[in-house]
Amino acid sequence: MIHDFITIIQDYWLLLLIGQYPNGPLGGLANTLILSALAIAFAFPVSILMALARLSKWWFLRWPMTALVYVTRGVPLLMLILWCYFVIPLWTGADVPSFLIMLVTLVIYQGAFLSEVVRAGIVSLGQGQMDAARALGHGYMGAMRFVILPQALYNMIPSMISTFVSTIKDTTLGYVINVPDLTFAASQVNNQLLTQPFQVFLILAVVYYILCWSLTFVANSVERRIARRRAGPRNVRLPAEAAPLKTITEQL
Amino acid sequence: MSTSVSEPQATQAIRIADVCKSYGDYPVLKNINAEVARGEVVVICGPSGSGKSTLIRTVNRLEEINSGGISFEGQDIHAPMRGSELNKLRSSIGFVFQSFNLFPHLSVVENVSMSPIRVKGIAANVAHDKALKLLDRVGLADKANSYPGQLSGGQQQRVAIARALAMEPPVMLFDEPTSALDPEMVGEVLSVMKSLAADGMTMLCVTHEMGFARDVADRIWFIDAGEILETAPPEDFFKNPRHPRAQRFLADLRH
Ligand SMILES: Nc1ncnc2c1ncn2[C@@H]1O[C@H](COP(=O)(O)OP(=O)(O)OP(=O)(O)O)[C@@H](O)[C@H]1O
Ligand SMILES: [Mg+2]
Repeated sequence: MIHDFITIIQDYWLLLLIGQYPNGPLGGLANTLILSALAIAFAFPVSILMALARLSKWWFLRWPMTALVYVTRGVPLLMLILWCYFVIPLWTGADVPSFLIMLVTLVIYQGAFLSEVVRAGIVSLGQGQMDAARALGHGYMGAMRFVILPQALYNMIPSMISTFVSTIKDTTLGYVINVPDLTFAASQVNNQLLTQPFQVFLILAVVYYILCWSLTFVANSVERRIARRRAGPRNVRLPAEAAPLKTITEQL
Repeated sequence: MSTSVSEPQATQAIRIADVCKSYGDYPVLKNINAEVARGEVVVICGPSGSGKSTLIRTVNRLEEINSGGISFEGQDIHAPMRGSELNKLRSSIGFVFQSFNLFPHLSVVENVSMSPIRVKGIAANVAHDKALKLLDRVGLADKANSYPGQLSGGQQQRVAIARALAMEPPVMLFDEPTSALDPEMVGEVLSVMKSLAADGMTMLCVTHEMGFARDVADRIWFIDAGEILETAPPEDFFKNPRHPRAQRFLADLRH
């Protein structure tokens, strides 16, 4: 059994790592990492903009964004992927690569989820912080940037990480539109071996687990570092309102 | 009223003219007329829910008003204006909140220096030195690198005063600055306020500290149900309040 795993990895490690590259497009784990990183990097600022739009006093920002967030959150991700896959080429008339379609879909989908977290983080700070910033002469954007968001985002770290972890997991759905990622590579391996699906997909599961776990681990230690700095050297404790990361992470 | 609120008046810091405000159908401020002279210390007192916070928050436009006008150094703060203009006006009115509202993610010295840097564009090292001086003035030089969560309520409120002073406002507003404090910390905040008054700062304070009002205030405004019923120097107000509701308010305070 162990022998099977070693053989598979010895024979196919390069395919699992970078896909067909350089003979074909970049794929495998490398592509999964790139897709995840880009999706997270874009979903994060997008979610802040979405949250600000939903909290805006102008209805023409608030209403469409609220509708978008509700629809996106109420639809399975797979539907959204397929929909973008067929509609975006129709609209743009261009041959959009599946990687890009997957990226856009993930950014909208995770952005919508994250925007709810951002919004809750902002609202839960209460009016006092905004009042204090405005009274000192900060504009709305200045108050957001220097006072509200740094606090809201810090309080959100646990939920943010859980969204990032699910973004990594959701990249696997790119399989249905042939995004050449790690899952795609694994299924190619499986098609060649035919007799060892259990082994192949267990390797896949372990790699995803390690990815998600490392992200959680890094985020945990960043959060602890900030908490320690704020609590000062003498009394180290997490703020009461920040629930332990694990309990929240596991809900998604 | 024929006089415009934006008419420049040499001795007035704040002039409130015919201000009305209501939440829905409920009137909170009913035709308020009052003024604060430069260098004057005014204490606003009155029962809970009478509109004291609402009134003081309209002075820097944290609350909008329905009619009337408020001029600050000759400028109508409730006139339609660009956001940047309002921000500039607000930055020259210090405001101290009942619940301190320090920025918990910033150290004490950053709390004090952040707005001069970000709003006024003062160089970071200059703002930092100035912040340390102000912290020294409120007796907290040794706490510069602590975070608000590590300070007592009295210390937090003194930092909040230093933070407001950092913008060098000619006028300071206080909304019950000692009401959220344990009794043993009230004194340290009041003594900072007293020293400000002694330096000639124009101050408008909502407070229930009648000792402070007696010692420091030049005038008392008594407000009840959204109306200023009496304005008088403290000695008159405490010895023989004219309005029956002011008499009742003072009698209630004494037990
Ligand atoms: N956002 C609001 N919406 C509706 N009513 C409000 C709002 N804010 C205040 N009020 C009402 O307006 C009235 C005046 O409130 P305000 O806070 O100015 O009173 P106050 O004199 O400061 O009282 P306290 O001594 O309790 O601080 C109160 O009856 C209050 O219930
Ligand atoms: Mg009040």
